Amino acid sequence: MNDTLTLDAAEASRAEAAESTREASSIEMQGLHKRFGRDTVALDGVALVIEAGEFFTLLGPSGCGKTTLLRILAGLEEADDGRLAIGGRDVTEVPPHKRSVNTVFQSYALFPHLSVRENLAFGLKMRGMPPGEREARVAKIAEFIKLGDLVDRRVDQLSGGQRQRIALARALVNEPDVLLLDEPLSALDAGLRSQLQVELLRVQKRLGMTFVFVTHDQQEAMVMSDRIAVLNGGVIQQVGPPREVYEHPANAFVARFMGHDNLYPISARDGDRLTTSLGELTAEAAGEGDLLLIRPETLDLLPGEQAGENQLPATVSERLYRGSHAEYRLEVGETTLQATLNNRGRRLPEVGDRVTVKVAPEDLVTLSE
Amino acid sequence: MRKRTLKRGLTGFWWFTLAFLYLPLAVVMLFSFNASNSAARFTGFSLRWYERLLGNEEILSAFANSMVLAIVSSVIALGVGCLIGYGMYRHRHRKLGWLIVLIYLPIVLPDIVFGISEMAFFVQIHRLTGLFQPGLGTMIIAHVTFQIPFVALIVYSRFVGLDPTLFEAAKDLYATPAKRVIHFMLPTIKPALISAFFLSFTLSVDDFVISFFTAGPESATLPIYIWGAIKKGVSPEINAIATLMIGAVAIAAIISLMFSRRRQA
Repeated sequence: MNDTLTLDAAEASRAEAAESTREASSIEMQGLHKRFGRDTVALDGVALVIEAGEFFTLLGPSGCGKTTLLRILAGLEEADDGRLAIGGRDVTEVPPHKRSVNTVFQSYALFPHLSVRENLAFGLKMRGMPPGEREARVAKIAEFIKLGDLVDRRVDQLSGGQRQRIALARALVNEPDVLLLDEPLSALDAGLRSQLQVELLRVQKRLGMTFVFVTHDQQEAMVMSDRIAVLNGGVIQQVGPPREVYEHPANAFVARFMGHDNLYPISARDGDRLTTSLGELTAEAAGEGDLLLIRPETLDLLPGEQAGENQLPATVSERLYRGSHAEYRLEVGETTLQATLNNRGRRLPEVGDRVTVKVAPEDLVTLSE
Repeated sequence: MRKRTLKRGLTGFWWFTLAFLYLPLAVVMLFSFNASNSAARFTGFSLRWYERLLGNEEILSAFANSMVLAIVSSVIALGVGCLIGYGMYRHRHRKLGWLIVLIYLPIVLPDIVFGISEMAFFVQIHRLTGLFQPGLGTMIIAHVTFQIPFVALIVYSRFVGLDPTLFEAAKDLYATPAKRVIHFMLPTIKPALISAFFLSFTLSVDDFVISFFTAGPESATLPIYIWGAIKKGVSPEINAIATLMIGAVAIAAIISLMFSRRRQA
């Protein structure tokens, strides 16, 4: 396993030199609005700059506008208002077939009347590339994505994962300025999914191409992205690298969407001393905001009752053993607190145990509703 | 045990139904090879009625009329019906209920009503403008009108069965509107078009009522000829024509069915 990884890396760096002759393109969006019918607002003033060569993810629940935004980038949907530039060129009114942008669709959308090879060559053929050149390009991409003998199959003979890779190859073969991916992994099972996540990442790094990825899965977003934009109700809630979005969510929506449950209103504040329903806690450089966020993995559980700064007495009310770690539900007075404990051979507290919850001041974050 | 009896009974019923449907056809086919001209007794195998058929100018001209009518009307219906089918698909999210009903009405309208209306309509137009002299031309128009709904329905259902994202994928992959038609839509619905063509063809060859009302003196088709000839009594020659028609229609229907099956793939 290790050998293949090293090989891959060497091969990747060699290929990188060869592939990255093309310059990647940035994307600029200004005041994009989109409304469906009279009442449905899909996008409500989206302004965003995606850097050239970035793996950028649009993350949000269904109906948040992420797919609409992607479709506007593709040209499949027209914004009611606002401007869009790709690679410095204004493409707001350019139809999809004239944009150097390709999409990997959620349903893959492989043409059933064509073979895999013809599917791969479709974009090149439509652009008028001569057959000889087309075949060379298809062969090159088939090798790059490691399609092997898949190219000679019929589309209806392919499995889901194979279709996904063909769809990716069909888009990449055109060497677009930007590649758009609309939840391309959502139809696959977990194992295949993480395998293809790695592959997608490898492809993106090697090509240095700008990727815009849409997903509702925050785990997937964190694994894949250079930066994430979290959307809700057609409005961008936060833009930043995965660690920033996860560890310093801009508001309660982002925090909850990233999987955080430990949010507590701050009832009183005296410098770094915060009062919540959990009790008094000291935060270090917690920043503005009237909500306290405690990430479950920053908590430590000490046996019995121990007094000290940022230490709270609690009772274990639930434990989910997950092998590598255990998830706890704790009662601090009337308030519930979630904690995650790594399984490092120490004793894991059990349901009913009296414990002391300890949190470091620098791990406490505040945010606004 | 009782389940088995029931199963046998149902199998028997199936064969009975088949016999009920196809025995009359078999009788006609058998007697077309009869050596004598008796409609009651089979006296021996012979191809004489088929030979007589080939020597009969009237029959040959009726056959030619039938073919021209079926092919020309099917081609026109294919073009128009294909556009309607695509239009229905494109605007499927709008409320088109009454429009769809108007397009499908000819399917359920009695042929005789349809035929008389067409005739009355052509007569009026002819009186006013001198156009639409009854003949192959009027017959083609009449046939196209009843073939269109079938073509539109077949094309529409093919489009509905497609992943709508395919249309977007074609746009995304640099296909201009014209290229989308040539390289995506037409190849994708090709089986449906072939199926629709042969269905239209059989409908046209089969039709008697509408043809009868819209035909001119020179444009008798095979069914019209048979109807005229039968007044003089059923001759084995008629059996021979019928047999050939059964063969032609069966082939067209089988082709249509084959391609409508392939649509699902």
